[in-house]
Amino acid sequence: MSGPAPDLYLSPGPHIRRGRTTAEIMWLVNLSLAPALVWAVLVFGWPVLGITVSAVLGCALAEQLACLVRRAPSTLPDGSVVCTGLLLAYTLPPGMPLWMPFVGGALGVFFAKTVFGGLGYNVFNIALVARALMMATFPVEMTTAWVEPDFGALAAVDALSGATPLVSLTGGGEAAGAAIVGTPEGMAHGLAFFLGLRPGSIGEVSVLLIGLGAAFLLWQRIIKLWIPASVIAGAALLAPWSPDPVLYLLSGGLWLGAFFMATDYVTSPSTPKGQVVFGLGIGLLTGMIRNWGGYPEGICYAILLMNTLTPALEEWFRPPRSAAKGTPS
Amino acid sequence: MRLFSRHRGIPTFARGGVHPDEHKELTADCAIADFVPRQVSVPIHQSLGAPSHPVVKKADRVRRGDLIASDADGGVPIHAPVSGIVRSVDSGVHPVLAIDTTITIEARDDDPGAEFAPLPDWQLLPRGELLERIRLAGVVGLGGATFPTFRKLNLPADARVDTLVINGSECEPYLTCDHRLMLERADEVVQGAWLIAKIIGVARCLVGIEENKADAAAALRAAIDRLHLAGSDHPLAIEVVVTQTKYPQGSEKQLIQALTGRVVPIRGLPMQVGVVVQNVATAFAILEAVRQQKPVIERVVTVSGLGIARPANLRVPIGTPVNAIVEACGGFRAEVVKVLAGGPMMGRALADLSAPVTKGTSGLLFLTRAETNLGGYQPCIGCGECLDVCPLGLEPSKVSQYVEAGRPLETAGFGALECFECGCCSYSCPSNRPLVQFMQVAKAAYRQQLLRRSA
Repeated sequence: MSGPAPDLYLSPGPHIRRGRTTAEIMWLVNLSLAPALVWAVLVFGWPVLGITVSAVLGCALAEQLACLVRRAPSTLPDGSVVCTGLLLAYTLPPGMPLWMPFVGGALGVFFAKTVFGGLGYNVFNIALVARALMMATFPVEMTTAWVEPDFGALAAVDALSGATPLVSLTGGGEAAGAAIVGTPEGMAHGLAFFLGLRPGSIGEVSVLLIGLGAAFLLWQRIIKLWIPASVIAGAALLAPWSPDPVLYLLSGGLWLGAFFMATDYVTSPSTPKGQVVFGLGIGLLTGMIRNWGGYPEGICYAILLMNTLTPALEEWFRPPRSAAKGTPS
Repeated sequence: MRLFSRHRGIPTFARGGVHPDEHKELTADCAIADFVPRQVSVPIHQSLGAPSHPVVKKADRVRRGDLIASDADGGVPIHAPVSGIVRSVDSGVHPVLAIDTTITIEARDDDPGAEFAPLPDWQLLPRGELLERIRLAGVVGLGGATFPTFRKLNLPADARVDTLVINGSECEPYLTCDHRLMLERADEVVQGAWLIAKIIGVARCLVGIEENKADAAAALRAAIDRLHLAGSDHPLAIEVVVTQTKYPQGSEKQLIQALTGRVVPIRGLPMQVGVVVQNVATAFAILEAVRQQKPVIERVVTVSGLGIARPANLRVPIGTPVNAIVEACGGFRAEVVKVLAGGPMMGRALADLSAPVTKGTSGLLFLTRAETNLGGYQPCIGCGECLDVCPLGLEPSKVSQYVEAGRPLETAGFGALECFECGCCSYSCPSNRPLVQFMQVAKAAYRQQLLRRSA
């Protein structure tokens, strides 16, 4: 034999694996979120980048501390905590003080992720727990720090402006809705929503760019259509009760939530039937909160509520056994 | 998704499956070559179940083809793969069991042993004699399962079987030994299939071959045309069916579903849906056992992987040590981190390269770091990949989580006991979780529970 016997690994089969790792999936999700961030920086200015970095750093700090306490290798490279930070930032108004996302992200990751055991063990969507916490802690900033889109504003952002369209809808009811969209330029306004040329949270403003990222994830088969489609279908069922159904469907975090948050692997069911029920539940709860609730945006709480049902949905909707049914022909 | 598949209309099993990189190009063009080592080590466990009983002792002279271990203990007969002198009957290395009683024979060139020339009138033998020759030849399932073939073919009187399936899928990556056999010995494979059909009394035979071996399908079709089996004393309609290339197409139940649409019940046998399955190499061995009364003393092994200098398809005597094959193939050309007996999906990692080739060894793979998977694993993220790829619709993710939580006896509902360990789940898991192993842990826990209860 040529040369000495090699040192051999004895691990059991299969001895090969498909290329994509959990970390690669997470970084691809992060990549798919990038276009919306670039757009937000363009229309809302540099502070948006600061908020995003601050949220990511806050999340990463909590994650890293947890690893140190557990004397475990750092889990930062798996990319999941960056994903959490990005998603949290995307739900925030562009005019926030920079320290708030940091605090919110750190506390969110601590309470929703590390205390459950880290990646894979959390019950609730981490970014949304962080957002809910911030809603309770910084209610004023979370609901008023909106910024008018302005392409010339990359250098500086002036004062805070008025409410987002959804806030107007909840506050002023049908009249406000009509004031925003029911104008002769209604169509143009719908287009503005689609493109993101309107006040709103950092990442949710452009349905087009959210859709682009989502299309990338679908193409890469990282997410499937079951959950997002049923979220939007569920929300659409309650659209007739909204003062302005078009605005209701093309605004807010509905699309961001449907494609990027409701589809979180860990906190959503893994069978198609379970995913459809899960998505419909989110859509309906979102509509309920938006139409009749006190909060302008409902999808955050809708997803968190449906997260609690995930284990039950997995129990109720099992994958079909191939050999169990089917009789010899 | 299925709508746009380029495989539309090409049969396959209904659910799950994966498409690993094939790597068959390393050896697909390597014609079968002979290699005989100076010494063979023949373990007495060569078939599924009980061992064989050694009937030779140290210093005995044996001729190629002599019986060296009998079926007295329930195993299959084992024959001397080479002529020579028994050096020892002692503990040795086994590729699967690690340690086994092993008959070591030093080859001598002075006596070639039995000729195994074709005997006259083998086509006319009655069923009983056919079965007897198969039994005496020690034929086992050569696809890797090593189930004793005469038992599989000796159907109970109430069995209603109408179809023979010949398995030429060879769905494991790297392996091409069945491919080469179909190309080079197509007539024999078809004649072997005809013998099996005669034994089990069926008039219909389907040969399943994956799309990536179109030349093998053509070779077998040509052989079928040449041999005119429809006009023989046991008329047989043989059809070659090209299936999709998808792992685990070569698994019995998946292949039956692909070719006949029939679904074998959970924990049931193919017989229950009227089918018997035999691998192409087994069909070839059956022909040799009947036509020449030649026992299984050699087999074709694919030697492959990026670590071996000269990948090959070698016909070697049973008992040929792995390191002799390494030497015959030019040694290593890169750092080898894992050596497998079998394919990369279900094969066993070898600890010791003095381990011998057994009747169940279809391949020897010498894998480099880049080819294999040595990483650790992370928690389940619930992506659902394993649910999508499991051909049985089991829930490997759930089994793994329950086993991790110390509750292996709550996993039967997730299918732990039905798993046949094809490895699609582990292969696909982005967190690299050893899901097959978790299944094995769960099964072992149930076995222990059963033992405790019966104690």
